[in-house]
Amino acid sequence: MANSTATAAPAVEAQHTDAHAGQRHINPVFVFVILTVVTVVEIAITLFHLPKDFLVPVLLGMSFAKASLVAAYYMHLRYEKPLYTIVFVTPALFAVFLIVVLAASY
Amino acid sequence: MNQTSVAPRPVSAEVVHANVNRKFGMWLFLSSELLIFAGLIGAFVLTRRSAYIHGKEWWEESIISIALVSLNTFILLASSLMVVLGIESIQRNDNAKLKRYLLLTALLGAAFLLGQAVEYSMLIFQEGHSFGDPFGTAFFILTGIHGLHVLAGVIWCLATWAVARRNTFNANNYTTVEIFGLYWHFVDLVWIIIFTVVYLTN
Repeated sequence: MANSTATAAPAVEAQHTDAHAGQRHINPVFVFVILTVVTVVEIAITLFHLPKDFLVPVLLGMSFAKASLVAAYYMHLRYEKPLYTIVFVTPALFAVFLIVVLAASY
Repeated sequence: MNQTSVAPRPVSAEVVHANVNRKFGMWLFLSSELLIFAGLIGAFVLTRRSAYIHGKEWWEESIISIALVSLNTFILLASSLMVVLGIESIQRNDNAKLKRYLLLTALLGAAFLLGQAVEYSMLIFQEGHSFGDPFGTAFFILTGIHGLHVLAGVIWCLATWAVARRNTFNANNYTTVEIFGLYWHFVDLVWIIIFTVVYLTN
């Protein structure tokens, strides 16, 4: 375990290394409520049999917004070092590009 | 047992540095996982498109199936909230609450897996899908690999809970919980995309 070496070096009070000192955190229950409401809206609009050309981009947009909320506030990317955001968002953009190209090029 | 009265032991600079490396390693791992799921989702989209163009049989989801998967989605969202609340508890040095939230997370993860097992049995035994048809191949591989990630997460969560039972974590030492949390939120994040791509835009 990490705390087994806690004797040698000068002690530091906080283990937290991210850059969120002083930033106001959003209540996680509020984020959960938003995620739930958006999911309910997503399910509801599929019941209206809207045109696919309209429905698919809207659903994907809502889905990516929800995923961004999870990454930003549950995974704390919003408050972490920018390096973590770069490491995670770069492949995420590539992933979106890959899926769109595969879907469109067939 | 109330942990709020116990002052957390300070940790060394080396430990802080090691924790930064562990967290960074987890982010790198999740980035590679993201690309694996991108490939699987891409393959699913491609297979569905191919089946549509060539007039092959595809899946017509029922109301029951959508209701079950929606419930599973809410279960996974709630489990993510439990992890966040658990981490907030240990930041306040409340180990008892952390243990409770970790146990709830594992239970919700197990409930998700149960829901997935019910869905699979419906698809296989009632609707006759298998790995042999295009839908079965794309669907079972994508959702099955995600399910394996949830299973791994449940086991990891229980292991973290077992460590928490020994009162290892405190407000200055909870990176192990945080790293587990990153993994669990990632599994939730991937499911959010899978839910839309596989079920809602079918």
